[in-house]
Amino acid sequence: MLELVDLSKKYKNTYAVKNMNMFIEKGEIVGMLGPNGAGKSTTISMLSSLVEPTNGDVLLLNKSILKNPSPLRKIVGIVPQEIALYSELTAEENLQFFGRIYRLKGKKLQQKIDEVLEQIGLSDRRKDIVSKFSGGMKRRLNIGVAMLHNPEILIMDEPTVGIDPQSRNYILETVKRLNKEKQMTVLYTSHYMEEVEYLCDRIYIMDQGSLIASGSKDEIKSILSSEKTIVMKVNRMDPTFIQLLKDNPVINQVITSEKEITIIVPKEVNLFSKLIKMAEEQNLEISSVDVKVPTLEDVFLHLTGRALRD
Amino acid sequence: MKGILLAKWKTFIRGPWTFLIFTGMSIVFALLIGGSGNVNSIQVPIYAEDETMQSGFVAEKLKEVEAFSFNWMDKEDMENRIANGKAELGLILESDSFQIIIGVESPNIEMLESTVQGIYVEKIQQEKLLASEDGENVVREWKNNKPVFELKRESFRNDDTFVYDQTFQSLFGFTLFFVIYTIAYNVLPILTEKKEGIWDRVILSPVRKWEMYVANLIYSFLTGYFQIMIIFLVFRFGFGVDFNGNFLLALVMLIPYVFAIVSLAILITAIVKNVAQFNAAIPIVSVSSAMIGGAYWPLEIVESEFMLALAKINPITYGMEVLNGIAVYGYSMSELLLPVSILLLMGVLMMGIGIHLMERRHI
Repeated sequence: MLELVDLSKKYKNTYAVKNMNMFIEKGEIVGMLGPNGAGKSTTISMLSSLVEPTNGDVLLLNKSILKNPSPLRKIVGIVPQEIALYSELTAEENLQFFGRIYRLKGKKLQQKIDEVLEQIGLSDRRKDIVSKFSGGMKRRLNIGVAMLHNPEILIMDEPTVGIDPQSRNYILETVKRLNKEKQMTVLYTSHYMEEVEYLCDRIYIMDQGSLIASGSKDEIKSILSSEKTIVMKVNRMDPTFIQLLKDNPVINQVITSEKEITIIVPKEVNLFSKLIKMAEEQNLEISSVDVKVPTLEDVFLHLTGRALRD
Repeated sequence: MKGILLAKWKTFIRGPWTFLIFTGMSIVFALLIGGSGNVNSIQVPIYAEDETMQSGFVAEKLKEVEAFSFNWMDKEDMENRIANGKAELGLILESDSFQIIIGVESPNIEMLESTVQGIYVEKIQQEKLLASEDGENVVREWKNNKPVFELKRESFRNDDTFVYDQTFQSLFGFTLFFVIYTIAYNVLPILTEKKEGIWDRVILSPVRKWEMYVANLIYSFLTGYFQIMIIFLVFRFGFGVDFNGNFLLALVMLIPYVFAIVSLAILITAIVKNVAQFNAAIPIVSVSSAMIGGAYWPLEIVESEFMLALAKINPITYGMEVLNGIAVYGYSMSELLLPVSILLLMGVLMMGIGIHLMERRHI
């Protein structure tokens, strides 16, 4: 349905997005995962015809939309990362404004507003001024505005940033429901891997403007199928201990955070007793050791050497 | 476009404070500095033993004197004020003569003496006229403004002719100055809405980009124009400032000025990167423009060639010229055409550059 072909965006001497290839089929939820600054929002801006790419093309049903974006604009709904609402107006007035710019009028507009308010759970707060809403309610209304004109494709740019877990769950459920009941195609970007893991059929992982992995959840996790992740919590970070780990030929990767050391090793290797011994030699106290099934976070760690939320 | 204007209107209704504050400030400043009209006149305490003199011929004539402002009070107060140095002169009126109490020796004594003496001479002449056989008819005719001879005084105006009216100077100056803030803060949402993603949402809708700009500019223009209209209406009907009989012409001829200021605000919005920079830029631009353009004081008293050259690229200069031309000098339409054309040209140029910059920088 929608395809990005070798899409790049260069600002002065820096590529915000480089040679991005991606496709979205009708009715699926596709996730775009990556840390802040990975190029997700730039990709979305190019995809939705708001920013002109330096190279590459965006195809809708195999036709380029770069010169004539109106066929895409008619069927796409954008949920920007910012709260793109008039904060001095009520929820209903905001929906009226955005409905009117989509040429909705009279009863049809009112019906659509009622329906959207119901979907986002704000029917009883319709007359309230947006500036008095909680962060979660604003985010829900932000989504509601994008749904007013019945878009076939909903593009959501980090729609759950900075909100409470309850509102986050509500939004995730709403996206699932829209996809299931209305067969709405969704492109969902986030740096919360658990959201993407929960919602999406297929996932694209971006870092520093480039695509570093793509496929279904299982396909991506299979990158680490021959490996396992061991997370150790220690009382202090000892450089010698970390160096010993890095020098160990069996260990594929060592990633450190404040008081946690993550190591990736082949699945068949049993390192437990050896790790305890090495720590004792360095007078290091290990408070816990956890062997994990690989997650998308681990895949990202494996591919980039950094955590998603770094 | 209607939808955008409707949303703007609702936003305005919810928060009209910027508009009201700047409208109020324009009126208050114009009243404080220019409205009293006698800031530059000499304050003279005045006393008459016969209280009927306070509404008599001499008292009425004294009110017409622009150089002095006479304040009625009792004799003791008058003497105290002069003794304390709060007044340099005092005037005691009697039926056929007057006394000047001098606190400070100054040329004002002679000026006051000749002024009051002239009024008394006129009073005596009128009384003599009344006493004559046909006196009453002559006086009645004179009072009905049907004099036997009509005297008209005119001067050929040239570039050096300078008429200064404190009321108009303050009213026009502060109106043109404060409206910059109202207009600028109504153009600012273009910047904030772009940053917040509202513009992106509208761009993706069937609304065209020019409609978005036009709707925003119409709204900013109307808010600024209504502010000027309210201020002028208050002064016209509240304080009796008659704009030399050209009230409507003054309102119509201000349209190019408001347009130029909307364009200036667009240009500033396009140059700055964020709201903080905008908040810093607006006072700098507005205050310096007001000073250079003659909103605070008449340009005729400025001698620096450099400042006068700067004034030529300043919309306030031409706004003041249009208003003073209409209300003070009685300009003809052909004389108004030059400042009006310059304002329109400035408006088109700044608007063009501003929108081009905004689009290029994608702010």
